[in-house]
Amino acid sequence: MGKKVLVVDDDPDVRMFSITVLEENGYAPLEATNGEEGMSLVRQERPDLIILDVLMPRESGIKLYRDLKTDSKLKDTPVIIQSGIAEKSFLRSQKALTEFGGAAVPEPEAYLEKPVEADELAATIRSVLGES
Amino acid sequence: MKIEKILFVTKFEQLGFDALLSLLSLRKASLGHVVLMNVIERERVAMRRGTGYRKSEERRLREVANIRFIDWAENLFEQGMEVGVYIVVGSMVPEVITAAGKEQADLIVIGRPHQGILEQLYAGSDVTELLQRSSTPVLVYKQLSESAIAFEKPFERPLLAIDWSPASLLAVDYLKEMKDLCQQIHVVHVVSEKELKGTNAMDIQKTRKETRRKLDEICTAFESAEIQAEPHVYVGETAVEIEKAARECQATMIALGSSAKAAWLERWMGSTPREIAEKSVYPTLLIPPPKA
Repeated sequence: MGKKVLVVDDDPDVRMFSITVLEENGYAPLEATNGEEGMSLVRQERPDLIILDVLMPRESGIKLYRDLKTDSKLKDTPVIIQSGIAEKSFLRSQKALTEFGGAAVPEPEAYLEKPVEADELAATIRSVLGES
Repeated sequence: MKIEKILFVTKFEQLGFDALLSLLSLRKASLGHVVLMNVIERERVAMRRGTGYRKSEERRLREVANIRFIDWAENLFEQGMEVGVYIVVGSMVPEVITAAGKEQADLIVIGRPHQGILEQLYAGSDVTELLQRSSTPVLVYKQLSESAIAFEKPFERPLLAIDWSPASLLAVDYLKEMKDLCQQIHVVHVVSEKELKGTNAMDIQKTRKETRRKLDEICTAFESAEIQAEPHVYVGETAVEIEKAARECQATMIALGSSAKAAWLERWMGSTPREIAEKSVYPTLLIPPPKA
């Protein structure tokens, strides 16, 4: 069985696209529609990689990302951010949250601005998982 | 009652990013999470003869809203805020209430409707319905361009209109949490002319004195929460006098308890909270009655 990859995105079209790319490339996809659901799946399934959207209802990707990267057991799980939010805004948000008293967190393993092509996503997954 | 999370409901033309930015001072009162919401009214994408459900129109409207929200969210994220987004197709009020419940929002912010008198009388407005059904406080925000007054910091000098109802007393507790935001609160009670009719000067003065004593007690409660407060007694038609008081006190917002009247009764007989929410030029904070 292929490596487990969790897709966290509230947009069903994007989830379907990502899952199709994952299945076609031999991975075992998991899916969640918001950060809260995503974090619970991370704890339960311990995926090898997370493809994470930022802007979602309930808990955003920012919260999930910070929770993940400050959890000693989960912080090494690689994350690809796949979002309409610009990378520089994401990085600035992390800086601002750290300034407001949060823990400093590393940058994500990869950042893809939507819309993403299938080849680009597949190549990024392989690269982050050290398979290319 | 801290405001940690707000649900900001926008149709874009009524409530823009300038209004949202003016609310970020709530950060001092623990705001850390803004949930942006756009409801695509069902009739905009509803079935039409020969075309069926207009899925492509829904997709277009969703993407238009998404583009606006991404831009807003980037700005908010860069300020260290947590941001959530809902873009849904449905009826405004039920969708807002559902989202407020799911998110456990502490405050719903909504724009003022632009409807004609007949339309409001027969159909009511989203604001009226929301005030009736919401158990979350609602801030009815006015477009900043609607009046010459700029409400950059709505919580800076609120005017609290008190009628001694449980909801208006709950508003006192709500505003007491805002000591880092409020410079001063003006506490106003409007005595109706009806209450004064047929009474002599002594009785009128007695009414004023008693009202003033009760207002002083509320001001003392604010001052013990480290908020400067001023009592005021006005006489006349309630909504008109509240608006006048807000102007005279240079208030930045009007706060009041929302009505506990039944929806149909409110529509036909009117209510002060509804009138203020829909007609005042000031942002209006409505606190619902305590849960039974």
